[in-house]
Amino acid sequence: MIIEAHGLRKTFTAKRGRGKTEQVEAVRGVDLEVEAGQIFAVLGPNGAGKTTTIRMLATLIPPTAGTATVAGHDVAKEPGKVRENIGYVGQAGGVDENAPGRDGLVLAARLGGMSRKQAESRSEELLTSFSLTEFADRPIKTLSGGQKRRFALAIGLVNRPPLFFLDEPTTGLDPQNRANLWDEVRALRKQGTSVLLTTHYLEEADALCDRLVIIDHGLVVAEGRPDDLKKEIAGDVVTLRLGDAANEPAQALLSAEPYVREVRTEDETLRVYVDDGEHNLPHLLRALEAGGLGIQSISLDRATLDDVFLRHTGRSLRDAD
Amino acid sequence: MFRHTMLFLGYELKLTLRNPVWPLFGILQPILYLLLFAPLVANTTVGGTMGDTLRLFTPGVLMMIALFGSLFVGFGMINEIRNGYLERLAVSPAWRPAIVLGRTMRDMLVLVVQALLVIGLAFLMGMRASAPGVLVMLVLMAATGLLASGLSYGLALALRDENGMSQIMQFFALPLILLTGIMLPMSLAPHWMQTVAHFNPLYHAVEAGRSLFDGDFTDGSIPLAFGLTLALGALTLTWSVSSMKKLAG
Repeated sequence: MIIEAHGLRKTFTAKRGRGKTEQVEAVRGVDLEVEAGQIFAVLGPNGAGKTTTIRMLATLIPPTAGTATVAGHDVAKEPGKVRENIGYVGQAGGVDENAPGRDGLVLAARLGGMSRKQAESRSEELLTSFSLTEFADRPIKTLSGGQKRRFALAIGLVNRPPLFFLDEPTTGLDPQNRANLWDEVRALRKQGTSVLLTTHYLEEADALCDRLVIIDHGLVVAEGRPDDLKKEIAGDVVTLRLGDAANEPAQALLSAEPYVREVRTEDETLRVYVDDGEHNLPHLLRALEAGGLGIQSISLDRATLDDVFLRHTGRSLRDAD
Repeated sequence: MFRHTMLFLGYELKLTLRNPVWPLFGILQPILYLLLFAPLVANTTVGGTMGDTLRLFTPGVLMMIALFGSLFVGFGMINEIRNGYLERLAVSPAWRPAIVLGRTMRDMLVLVVQALLVIGLAFLMGMRASAPGVLVMLVLMAATGLLASGLSYGLALALRDENGMSQIMQFFALPLILLTGIMLPMSLAPHWMQTVAHFNPLYHAVEAGRSLFDGDFTDGSIPLAFGLTLALGALTLTWSVSSMKKLAG
């Protein structure tokens, strides 16, 4: 295990003006186990405690309670040792805007212990692999968001850390840059680097990670491989629009069908979780017809992590912010 | 530790050299004082010849550069806190005091170069000063820079807010300058004002500078100025370094 955390908690004292303070429980007891070589995602809505969790693991803030071992060292007792083994890219990127990216890379490499020559060749290597060579000598502030983010990644990786922390790595990136970044993260896994990333994009967690935890209000609500989590609730979702009056009878009727795992009402639509959707959709249609319920629209989709989130929190991740 | 400090110093110096316009801009105001204010003083009864006036006036102008140049270095740091740059450094293998120390040394070096330019100009205008005195004065400049930039980084790390910081600077800077006797010697001031000025470390630095430029190394203001500036500099530097350490738990 490259990360092992037990009962991590973080309570902040927030100022409420005129000397009043308020205790904010950002993280209320998070357990995490990340195997070496995995891409591990922490998924949750804004304010769920993702960033606070990753900041505790990256030794930026001490936990209020609980323990965490990162790369074999305790975050509270040996933060220096932890820092030697991690790369960290925060939400804001954390590159010096005024300096050219190459200078930042060389500085980071030399701070990590490389000689000037080693640092320069390592920087060159990363500039090439992140396609940044042509921007290397321009001040970072003149670059686009995607280019900045790539520099942030390159600087974080310059010392070849065995573990890489990425806090919301694709927030604010356009789809093209997001896809590129996904490829870069996958390439890291190939080289044996472990990655812990936080995200509030379901697609990102689904497409990228080997395992994930879903957190909400500072607590882990689900943990596992994306496919297993989805299978737990059912393989497929049938989304039905029947008209308001028909929702309740349809819910009762469908819940009784043997292949239906669960029926949820969401606004004016019904979400019916079924096993083996392609095969059972005709049965479902027949059942509705037999009950005398007319269908306005119907669609069959694979269950997503949003369905997992919905199941565990009663809310959709899209509405949870 | 020393290696990291030097790495940061080298990085910051390279950055300054990429854009040397700003430090040059920083001495524009003191230069205007030399060009437009010194002749005015020279014409009044207090001043003597132009050379005498400049010898009296230049140490004050130098302290003005040291104070104003260095007090504002912290502003850039607030932005670096906000965009996560310092945070990333804090969880890197970097020795954290080096982050502040490297910058402070850069600030001191920039000050010495600025001072040399101003002294060169004063020389061209007719000032003659003791060469060893000028050298010691440069060291005192650097020490004042240490004090002011330590204070500035400390404030930046503690407040993390440009507005609050500029208010505090305004509050301190003007009385410090007025009670230093940069424009006119404090000996012209009423007694109470002279008493107050004694509590201003910059006053002693300017007094020391004037003695040094006169080639008078026996004046008591010299050890007093060095002692005060170095002690306060050590204090502000310790403060900013410990605030830097607090950036990551």
